Amino acid sequence: MKYALSFNLNGNPVDALVKPTDTLLDVLRNKLHVKSPKRGCDTGDCGACTVLLDGQPVRACLTIAMTVNGREIDTIESFGSKDGKLHPLQQSFHEHGATQCGFCTPGMLVSAKALLDKNLKPSRDEIVDAISGNICRCGTYYEVIEAIQAVSDGEGKE
Amino acid sequence: MFFAPTGIEEAVKLLAEHGEKATILAGGTDLVPKINYYDLRPDILVYIGGIGLNFIKNKSGRLVIGAGTSWTSLIGNALLAEKASALAEAARLGGSWAIRNAGTIGGNLANASPAADLATPLLAMDAELLLSSTGGARIVPVKEFFKGPGETALRADELIAEIYVPPVKGKTVFLKLGRRKSMTLSVVNVSVCLDMEDRTCNEARVALGSMAPTPIRCTKAEDKIKGKKVDEALINECATTAIAESNPVDDQRATAWYRKKAGQALVARALAQAAGIDR
Repeated sequence: MKYALSFNLNGNPVDALVKPTDTLLDVLRNKLHVKSPKRGCDTGDCGACTVLLDGQPVRACLTIAMTVNGREIDTIESFGSKDGKLHPLQQSFHEHGATQCGFCTPGMLVSAKALLDKNLKPSRDEIVDAISGNICRCGTYYEVIEAIQAVSDGEGKE
Repeated sequence: MFFAPTGIEEAVKLLAEHGEKATILAGGTDLVPKINYYDLRPDILVYIGGIGLNFIKNKSGRLVIGAGTSWTSLIGNALLAEKASALAEAARLGGSWAIRNAGTIGGNLANASPAADLATPLLAMDAELLLSSTGGARIVPVKEFFKGPGETALRADELIAEIYVPPVKGKTVFLKLGRRKSMTLSVVNVSVCLDMEDRTCNEARVALGSMAPTPIRCTKAEDKIKGKKVDEALINECATTAIAESNPVDDQRATAWYRKKAGQALVARALAQAAGIDR
């Protein structure tokens, strides 16, 4: 049995027909072709599929799709401006070399944006806590922390 | 099938109707990995995120927590910080930000992991659970709720609606040892409540997690310290007794031998903190 699901994705209304056990990650990647949330572990451990649900970071792989009916989902597809300009966090990640293979980067950026949305000047510990659920197997943590810190300090802002 | 009831009456009616076939979905952080990894295919999902169980209230001195309250909501709450700081601390140390945003206190209890971090402070604080069904509601103390790994007193037609935390005298402490600082289940966790008068302990409660098939209260250890003047020697004796009451297993996170050694140190540390003793 399939159910009609409607929600706002990056500010635009979207619809999909989903099974009760389909996850938000299944729907985003396979039905709506939004590819920034990555399927890493499918158990919520790695953080590569992190998206914003009503502004708060959650795991798309652990979110049953039907539970986001009528709600707001944001992925990094919405972060930059329409004319192609990068979000200050994306620009800072680029400048600090805060990415290597790039698989964890969308999730890292989502967690970082959620942090700065609620706390403009986080301490280093708060940054570490915010990204502690985003695992980077290339080990770019140092650069990621520097990149987030640079934006929160005002450097790299427009 | 998927149902998203909008109130508790509607939710328990669905559970009564579908019985064992219905699976309750809250934050999904324990349930969905089983769907993704172990081919669990629930016939019927009843999503209870929209039935109004997300609240923390003070009701004549007693804390009432809705079962749908997320771990994140437990952390920043002023009432909890004042009345149940050990519970807030357990929530802070659990999972990661995204997991704490989705996971709920009721889900942590209903999942009944022996390592459930929120169970240990609730046990130590003599908390009670309000279980609802179409037949009405019943109250079950947390210490009678857990029956084994993944097994609870919850019937198929019931859901956890509220958690009651009675006023706690004295200081509550929660300590956790995991394999990492973050994103990890407890190798051992401990929660203690000590009511001290000068150096004498009036009331003591000691609870251990990940040290038996369910989270446990260590009543013999509590009796050791109650009514006595607390010093380093008594703390160590009490910690030894607590570990003697436990029954840990070897698993992928630690051996039983290590759990006992580390658990003893953790209980002693928690007791010293709650008693205000510098070590």
